[in-house]
Amino acid sequence: MILPSAVDWMELRYFILRRILLLIPTILGLSIFMFILIEAVPKAILVTPYINPHVQIPYIIQEQNALKLLGFNYPPPIAYLFYLDRLFHGDLGLMSMPGYPNSVSAAIIDALPNTIQLTIFASIVSIAIAIPLGTYIGARPNSVADQASRVFSLTGYAIPAFWLALLLQLALGKGTIFGNPFGVLPISGSYNPSLIPYPAPSWFVNGYTDPTHLVIFDSLIHGDIPLFFDALEHIVLPVLTLTYGLLAGILRFMRAGMVDASNQEYVKTARSKGVPEKLVIKKHIRKNAMIPTVTVMGLLVAGLLGGVVLVEYVFSYPGMGYLTTQGILSYQVWLIIGTTLVFGLILVMTNLVVDVVYALTDPRIRY
Amino acid sequence: MMQNSEGTKSDSDVYLRVEKLKTQFFTSRGIVKALDEVNLNIKKGEIFGLVGESGCGKSVTAQSIMYLVPDPPGRIVSGKIYVGNVNMLIGLDRLAKITIKSETNVKIKRNKRLIKRHNYLLSKIRGDRISMIFQEPTLALNPVLRVGDQISENIMLHLKIEMANAILRREMATRKDYESFVQKVFSIGDKDQRGKEILDWCENYSISDAEELVGNIFLTYQDPETIIKSLEFIVNERKSGTDINRLSRARDYYVYQQKLFEATLKLMEAEANGRQDEIESAKYELNEAKREGGTFLSFRVINIFMRRRIEAPLRDAAKRRVIELLTLVNISEPERAAISYPHELSGGMQQRVMIAMALASSPQMLIADEPTTALDVTTQAQILDLIRNLNRQMGSSVLFITHDLAVIAQMCNRVGVMYAGNIVEEADVNTIFDNPKHPYTIGLLRALPRADRIAGKMVKLDTVAGTVPNLITPPSGCRFHPRCKFKMDICEQKKPELDDLGGGHKVACFLYQEPGGSTQ
Amino acid sequence: MANDTNVGGPILKSQTVKHRPRTEDFKHTFKLFIKNELAFVGFVIVLVYFAIAILDYVYPSYLGVRNIDTVASWVPQLASGVPGAPTLAHGWWYIFGETEYFAPIFPVMLAALKTDITYSVAIVITGVLIGTILGTLSGYFGKLYDEVLMRITDIFFSVPTLVLAIAVTTVLGKSLTNVVIALIIIWWPIYARLTRGVSLSIKSNKFVEAATASGSSGLRNVFVHVLPNVLSVVFVQFSLDLGSIVQLFAALDFIGFNQGSPLLPEIGNMLTWGTTYLVAGIWWPIVIPGIFLLIFTVAINLMGDGLRDVLDPKLRR
Ligand SMILES: Nc1ncnc2c1ncn2[C@@H]1O[C@H](COP(=O)(O)OP(=O)(O)OP(=O)(O)O)[C@@H](O)[C@H]1O
Ligand code: SF4
Ligand SMILES: [Mg+2]
Repeated sequence: MILPSAVDWMELRYFILRRILLLIPTILGLSIFMFILIEAVPKAILVTPYINPHVQIPYIIQEQNALKLLGFNYPPPIAYLFYLDRLFHGDLGLMSMPGYPNSVSAAIIDALPNTIQLTIFASIVSIAIAIPLGTYIGARPNSVADQASRVFSLTGYAIPAFWLALLLQLALGKGTIFGNPFGVLPISGSYNPSLIPYPAPSWFVNGYTDPTHLVIFDSLIHGDIPLFFDALEHIVLPVLTLTYGLLAGILRFMRAGMVDASNQEYVKTARSKGVPEKLVIKKHIRKNAMIPTVTVMGLLVAGLLGGVVLVEYVFSYPGMGYLTTQGILSYQVWLIIGTTLVFGLILVMTNLVVDVVYALTDPRIRY
Repeated sequence: MMQNSEGTKSDSDVYLRVEKLKTQFFTSRGIVKALDEVNLNIKKGEIFGLVGESGCGKSVTAQSIMYLVPDPPGRIVSGKIYVGNVNMLIGLDRLAKITIKSETNVKIKRNKRLIKRHNYLLSKIRGDRISMIFQEPTLALNPVLRVGDQISENIMLHLKIEMANAILRREMATRKDYESFVQKVFSIGDKDQRGKEILDWCENYSISDAEELVGNIFLTYQDPETIIKSLEFIVNERKSGTDINRLSRARDYYVYQQKLFEATLKLMEAEANGRQDEIESAKYELNEAKREGGTFLSFRVINIFMRRRIEAPLRDAAKRRVIELLTLVNISEPERAAISYPHELSGGMQQRVMIAMALASSPQMLIADEPTTALDVTTQAQILDLIRNLNRQMGSSVLFITHDLAVIAQMCNRVGVMYAGNIVEEADVNTIFDNPKHPYTIGLLRALPRADRIAGKMVKLDTVAGTVPNLITPPSGCRFHPRCKFKMDICEQKKPELDDLGGGHKVACFLYQEPGGSTQ
Repeated sequence: MANDTNVGGPILKSQTVKHRPRTEDFKHTFKLFIKNELAFVGFVIVLVYFAIAILDYVYPSYLGVRNIDTVASWVPQLASGVPGAPTLAHGWWYIFGETEYFAPIFPVMLAALKTDITYSVAIVITGVLIGTILGTLSGYFGKLYDEVLMRITDIFFSVPTLVLAIAVTTVLGKSLTNVVIALIIIWWPIYARLTRGVSLSIKSNKFVEAATASGSSGLRNVFVHVLPNVLSVVFVQFSLDLGSIVQLFAALDFIGFNQGSPLLPEIGNMLTWGTTYLVAGIWWPIVIPGIFLLIFTVAINLMGDGLRDVLDPKLRR
């Protein structure tokens, strides 16, 4: 009896659709969780950013109005509906931090691209190194290269991201250790503000750039080559820090997958067909070794998103993580809940992508 | 050829010859002496059965012949395996240096460069001349590759030149070719002969699914003009705009690769013989062959970027062949099977696919290691039938491994009985069943329920007393002596050789030979 | 062929957990564990760290710095203006140099180990207790209870741990105690998931089915059959998580939750002090605490991997 072939594009579409529908309860759950967290905070703190000390309305009145606006004058389930309604309109609350917009959503929109840029760069670099390296090492278990990579993986797994960031600042950062010939890379920010002429060009809006909000790309778009290279320099250390941990993680699973796959019977079959050794590794072993790697990709990305917060903090890289840590200092509850929600959405989306990739790499998955 | 110089009898009928094959596993508990100088001769077109208890080394024999023994821990220590006239184990002793300090402390130093070259040799022989069917089809098929791709992989590895030639012939065929062909066919009176001629022609022009059509033409029409037109139509339809120049260039390149391989093989043989002048001349030849490679430089560069396009017509041909093969192994919907993944097929289907894969490049030798053990009884019978029919049709030899004597009886021409890493008796299937000589074989046959005995009444089945010995410390002399009823003193001291009793009936037992005559 | 195939087994094959008697031969396990040299080294290092922490409770004077107040009361010994570099000239307390407040790094470091290990162990143990109980019950009783619990853990897993910890701590109020509470709140789902899986597979075990059939009650079954088996898996995860929790705790302290207790000897806090002098090229206040942390997490990972190798029935051969 022959069952229908596995990768049927129609079926895949339904699979993705079903997975997206399954996201809805998760996202609702996430919003409920966030709402519970908000409820746990004293109301006085919640309404603080909604109060304008410069207008001639008494504090009490302003507070009453804000509570009414936020729906907190109703019982919690109703208040949750108010919250949900605001979420649907993209309103994550207000904040008051010097140098940042008043609206949490606006601040996040400014910062999000930088975070995504860091994670994507780190992912690309890690995957591009880990897969060929893992293939090489996994095909030669217990060789010198393998031992070296085990040490690397172990430290990469165990090293605290923020400490690594500090170390890199010391070792490669400009102006840390005096006379260090390797100290050439900038250690904070996403570009050097002194490169921006005064008044700033029109595409610098509130210190953020147009249209992508990413200095690297926008400077290219607007033809500012020195700024482009400067921004590129600024991204090296953060990406390097993030890459270390992620690379170690992928490498570890890739190696284990390779070793496991090379002991399987189908590898003997491939050899018995006369497949050259190189192809056996590339085609028969690696394809199978990718499967366990893909399954843990979601977990690794979760770790990466945690790491990005620390890395942005250490390098003062103006992404969501940096924004969050700034919020801690001045107790911006709406901001922190907002960024948490957005980080959660990013992770949920990533897991969706991972699931789809998994279904594509392993034909045995039924969907 | 070269094996003549080493004093072995060259029997032109023999396709697979295994000489003194010794395989060991260097484990932490000690050295498992799994194979102890196994000799095997398998003739062309023959089905050779290998039987023995579990753990006696049947699978290790099969894997050794394919050079698939998992390393570490296993290694072939010495021996020769001739497939056709090529020794698969050329230069074996130089591949790795094994220093045995004690049973559990063994250092193996591998020579990476030579192993690489040996792998190259293996990749040209495996799948092309000799291939293998495994016991567990579920595990033996790669779960992430489509069945069709797994089969066509084999074809693309070994049949590129043939396919390219056929495509080129067809593409360059002219009307004149068909005319002369048709004239020729009409001049043949014998119907069978005529059919064969047509099939050959189709093969030649790589027209696989047109066979039937061509057959019909010859049955219904008698007018040569019409026939020529139809043929032209069929052939033209296939003229798919293939870039003939590029393909012929690719063909030349494949031929060049083949030449390189042959030159390398010669060098390896020369090095194994250790004759300096031979090595020199082989090296010279190899360099000559390599020099020719310069003319392919631009092709190789293009090949890197356009490989898929260059090989597209070959892949199409391979795809067609996959369908043919799947039909050949009785898969009902070959097109659908080809695009499915292994887990979508039943066990029996998977084993058929395995067989199709093994047969893909028409190897002369097929090793089947308990191909039906994992299957249910009905499927088992079908698969056995299939292997037998294929053996008849394609004329390739089969090494059939099983522990089931009943299967041996219905499948095989010759039988080898294995015990603890030795072949203890080898004979025609009838001789084995009617006139077994070795005490172990006799014991095995006693354990078999036979119709004539069961007809009597309830018969208590005998089994061979005792168990298979531990192969880390195997019994001295004849490895069977602890279980043998006829044990003599000499059996503990000397190892009996496999001696011919006449008519190809070989036995390794002192009961049948002059103890003084054989040597250790 | 049977000997060399499928040793690792396909990843996707469902792993069934064998029921092993409680009188399991502990010695044998330990012997297997010791055989793995790296794991044993890791184990020894972890022991040393714990010994330091315990010693710090019992004989604090041996290890120098004890509490917040003393940290701030150090007299500069080595240099003026900035923390002095590592030296042996002033006794082994100054072997790693000085940090902020001119405190000698070595004794402060030892005190920091006490803080971090205490908090982390407290967090993980509480998390294990909550998670294991909820997870085991969920796996055993299934149905609605299971469904609800799994959806709740889903939510926890849908936010990166560190971010969630930040959010929960902020909501609870910025203090180290609240960091601990927050970490417990977000850590139990891991164990709940883990134990649920194990107890599900044990539940389907013939052995337990037989026990249920012979009339022993559900709750009794949980404790007699499920818990002992769950525990070995939990123990492995516990040992591995200790490393992550120490890191997470230090990280949270580092990014700004130290405001309530800026003088507490704690690794994250020490790193915060170190960053003050980063641009002056003073590396030791940053490098030294990090190395202590790194050694601990590496050792924990080595030990945990070794433990998994001997305790995981799937890997144990
Ligand atoms: N990877 C290995 N490591 C150590 N010893 C091995 C290994 N593979 C095979 N052996 C040993 O080689 C001997 C022969 O095993 P083999 O698999 O060839 O038996 P078999 O005749 O095929 O038995 P079966 O009928 O059960 O398949 C056995 O004693 C076995 O212990
Ligand atoms: S050689 Fe001796 S021990 Fe071996 S089978 Fe013959 S009689 Fe028995
Ligand atoms: Mg076998």
